[in-house]
Amino acid sequence: MMRILNILVIAALVVAAAYVYKIKFESTLQAERVAKLRHELRRERDAVAILRAEWAKLQAPLRIQGLAERHLKLKPVVSAQLGNFDNLPMRPTPAPPPNDPIASIIAPAPPQETTGSIGIPGAPR
Amino acid sequence: MTDVGFTAPKKATESRWQRVVRTLLYGDNVDRNVKAKARVGLAIIAFVAVYGIIAGKLVMFALISEDHGGRRSVGQDAIATARPDIVDRQGAIIATDVKMPSLFAEPRRLIDVDEATEMLTAVLPDLDAKDLRDRLSSGRGFAWLRRELTPAQQREIHRLGLPGIGFLTENKRVYPNGPVVSHLIGHVNVDNQGIAGIEKWLDGQGLAALHMAGLATDRLQKPVELALDLRVQFALRDELAKARDKFSAKAAAGLMLNVNTGEIVAMASEPDYDPNNPREANDPTRINRLTTGVYEMGSTFKALTIAMGLDSGRMGLNTTFDARMPLRYGKFAINDYHAQRRVLSIPEIFTYSSNIGTARLALALGVDYHKAWLRKMGQLDRLRTELPESSEPIVPKRWGELNTVTIAFGHGLSVAPLQAVMGVAATLNGGLLIPPTFLKRSPEEARAMAKQVIKPETSIKMRYLMRLNAEIGSAKTANVDGYYIGGKTGTAEKVVNGRYSKTKLLTDFMAVLPADKPQYLLLIMLDEPQATKETHGYATAGWNAAPTASKVIARVAPLLDIAPRFDLPNAEQSILVSNRVAR
Repeated sequence: MMRILNILVIAALVVAAAYVYKIKFESTLQAERVAKLRHELRRERDAVAILRAEWAKLQAPLRIQGLAERHLKLKPVVSAQLGNFDNLPMRPTPAPPPNDPIASIIAPAPPQETTGSIGIPGAPR
Repeated sequence: MTDVGFTAPKKATESRWQRVVRTLLYGDNVDRNVKAKARVGLAIIAFVAVYGIIAGKLVMFALISEDHGGRRSVGQDAIATARPDIVDRQGAIIATDVKMPSLFAEPRRLIDVDEATEMLTAVLPDLDAKDLRDRLSSGRGFAWLRRELTPAQQREIHRLGLPGIGFLTENKRVYPNGPVVSHLIGHVNVDNQGIAGIEKWLDGQGLAALHMAGLATDRLQKPVELALDLRVQFALRDELAKARDKFSAKAAAGLMLNVNTGEIVAMASEPDYDPNNPREANDPTRINRLTTGVYEMGSTFKALTIAMGLDSGRMGLNTTFDARMPLRYGKFAINDYHAQRRVLSIPEIFTYSSNIGTARLALALGVDYHKAWLRKMGQLDRLRTELPESSEPIVPKRWGELNTVTIAFGHGLSVAPLQAVMGVAATLNGGLLIPPTFLKRSPEEARAMAKQVIKPETSIKMRYLMRLNAEIGSAKTANVDGYYIGGKTGTAEKVVNGRYSKTKLLTDFMAVLPADKPQYLLLIMLDEPQATKETHGYATAGWNAAPTASKVIARVAPLLDIAPRFDLPNAEQSILVSNRVAR
């Protein structure tokens, strides 16, 4: 009786030890992965910082102006070129087609094409 | 002799010699049986203790071992500590950190100093061979060889495979905009500690303490948002540089302030320097003229004097002062540049920039009133902002009537230009004196810290005067089509060898835009501008500072979301009448 119990306990001990070893091993693996990821994150973040600095350098106004003056024929905007929608004039309503009954009998006029909306003066926008 | 310790000694079989030895060793009449048991017990305790310690240590290792990986990687970087990014109000990067490898040696672990010297100088030719050899043979534990290597250099040195030579990654501060934002941002030293400008202010905000504790190693710190608008800053600096060339001025400075929040949207002082190369900053001609220098502001100061008169309640816009004769004071005679030789009303004093009229106005209110007023407007005390550099205004020690006369039109009191801008902004924004700031600030925050120094009604009259000056006065040259600006010119003679010089001038111009509902105040200042053909031989502010301001406004107004308006009525209609303010 005692001997069986002893054997059982020893077996349980061995199993427990093996299990603990397995957990420990896995946790080490996980910890290594965490460290690796953390390292990678840090590297990525540094790389992003370098790219951001480079981007800022590339779009620095000092550089853009130099490039624009050398390669473009653009000139600075003057205030008269700025406007808003309220200041836009209304599109005039098209004149009605000339009413010529004989001409329309000889050659029927092509259907009128409308290419844009026509504002009605005074209507709310 | 067997089993001495465990079997009971038989006295009978003991020889005489043995007995003598036993008595010498253990003493007489000692039961060795008992003694042996005690010894066994002791051994058990000792072994349990030793194994216990081993077991405990194992547990400790198991618990702590996880930290090892992390600690190793931290040790490899960040000697020079990380700083938060600095961005402008739109989020564009003004300053950021970039990791750079630095080369170090552990001279004690070096095997062949000569070989190492030779190979390193082959990769880094600009490294001084003799100095390098000295450092490598010093026998110290650690020595820096070169800070901030390029990645290519790092690879080559790594490939040399020298023992005792290693790299540490360090944070290097980078300013992508170079000289565009120089004085404002300041710069850092090689250990990434701020030594000027906003960078130094940052260190004072607890960053230095974080560094000490070794905590500020990561870049997870929140970026610092400035009030600065990079695009406006660039346009301002660009125009200032052009103006400085055009008028062959010694220096040019400009500042743009949001009058409702006290935010400094742009600040430039030419000549400036590149913060990536801070050695240039030591040149005394490159100081920041707007906060570090103090100047006699000239006629722009008349705006403050006239605001004083209007706010006193004793004068209105129709009050007149006699400007027929020069004002004699002892051996001094105060004269007008655009002399009219007649009695002038306050708007006329302002638009003709009459020294006599302003002086008489100040005298009418008295010396003490004038002094108290300037103190209230913050012109007599040192103005402190986030920038560590600031200077005290130069106030006359004995302030008599003559001082009041000259200070009324901007001579005899030297203030930092930023200070004058703050004072004039208070006369235009509805009467609130708001301490200027370089950091982003909301209108609510500004209102909470503002001090009401003049009546809102006086402020409306000041807007009217500023606009009137741009319609009929000396600020005409600053007009930009579509932007309803107002302004005041100022030309101060510089003091050379204790006397005012007729040829060395400091011209400045303050422009408010738009004049009927002020949002921004622009200051342009030129140091010793020269007359050119275009200016018909004049070197006063109306000919150089005001046109420069006009160019700046034409460029920055669209950036600041100020829509152009055309066909606006004149100053009287649009400012006085629409606000129902009596003259």
